[in-house]
Amino acid sequence: MQHMYKFFISTCLLFIFVDGFSQQKKDTIIDSKKDTIIYKSAYGLRVGVDISKPIKAQFDGSYSGFEIVGDYRLSKRFYAAVELGFEEETTQEDFTNSTAKGSYIRAGFNFNAYKNWLDMNNEIYVGYRYGFSVFEQTLNSYTPNVNNQYFPSNTVTTPITTSGLNAHWSEIVLGFRAEAFENFYITFSGSYKILMSVKDPDNFKSLFSPGFNRVFESGTGFGFNYTLTYLIPFQKK
Amino acid sequence: MRKIIFLLGFVLLINTSCEKDDFCLQNPITPSLIITFYDDVNRETPKNVRRLSIIAQSKTDSLFTNSASDSIAIPLNSLDTKTVYVLKKNDADGTRANNQIATFTIEYTPQDTYVSRSCGYKVTFNNITFSKDTNSWIKDFTPNTSTTIDNQNAAHVQIFH
Repeated sequence: MQHMYKFFISTCLLFIFVDGFSQQKKDTIIDSKKDTIIYKSAYGLRVGVDISKPIKAQFDGSYSGFEIVGDYRLSKRFYAAVELGFEEETTQEDFTNSTAKGSYIRAGFNFNAYKNWLDMNNEIYVGYRYGFSVFEQTLNSYTPNVNNQYFPSNTVTTPITTSGLNAHWSEIVLGFRAEAFENFYITFSGSYKILMSVKDPDNFKSLFSPGFNRVFESGTGFGFNYTLTYLIPFQKK
Repeated sequence: MRKIIFLLGFVLLINTSCEKDDFCLQNPITPSLIITFYDDVNRETPKNVRRLSIIAQSKTDSLFTNSASDSIAIPLNSLDTKTVYVLKKNDADGTRANNQIATFTIEYTPQDTYVSRSCGYKVTFNNITFSKDTNSWIKDFTPNTSTTIDNQNAAHVQIFH
């Protein structure tokens, strides 16, 4: 019995490591000269346009849109950002066809999570936006869903326009920004939007909101931007 | 921070998948009229109509032919304010001479009600009035009027014969 205990205890001890150093590190490094070169980066206002929207309008006849973007650097990593735009889109569904058009504003901030090398000015950022849009929606036509062949329904083609609609939402943004030339940036970003409130037309629903895109049943939406921006530098620090 | 970014990207990816409003899963959208048939004497007892055929007035094709059923669902014409059905039953045999004919008229105000993106509009029928012709195999029915038909959860009218 005693031998067995000995065996187990020895086996346990087998896996114990002892880490020891016989040399102590020197507290002071002889060559303690600090690198004195500090790379300054530019602070200023960056303005530009979203080129994805005119491109989308070229390929998708039911869409047109325009957006200008701007941001202002507040600190080393924080930027205040704003986007203003106009969009019009026709939504074709199985039983309805509707057009929404209007303008929107998104305001918030970006946090640059990317640590640049030397004097590079690239960004991988996350951000928050509060969005607000004012728009009108026209129900161009609809076919009542009667689901029977015996008494089919006719398509109603009298347009019904509801103006004064609005939507409020929050979005989180993830973006990649690269300085292509000096002070000239290319940015790609995607956003996930959560609707906070939307005004629906009577006996219909806001299916698309400018700046928010398609409003999903769950009150969520997606967006992406591809922007070209130019930085107007105010100062370097 | 980088981990958070990847997590956010992942959440974004998951959410771009199919949303439930892509397909209309609700069925039916526009309700049909549900008629149940009961015995004229024992009014609690469901009673099959033998060799029942149903055709709407001004139509050439029947909805049912020679079915034996105590409950039917028939569509209403959403383009009109009135649907007239001709109901034929034959208690004796399949010969034409023994056919019994009755007409049942449903008058209503149709209304288009928005349901959802994928389902579109449904038609609900309001201010419904039922009526029948005299001296037919339909002895009685209840109710005479109804405020609205907007679902198919229960029978809308009971016919006694």
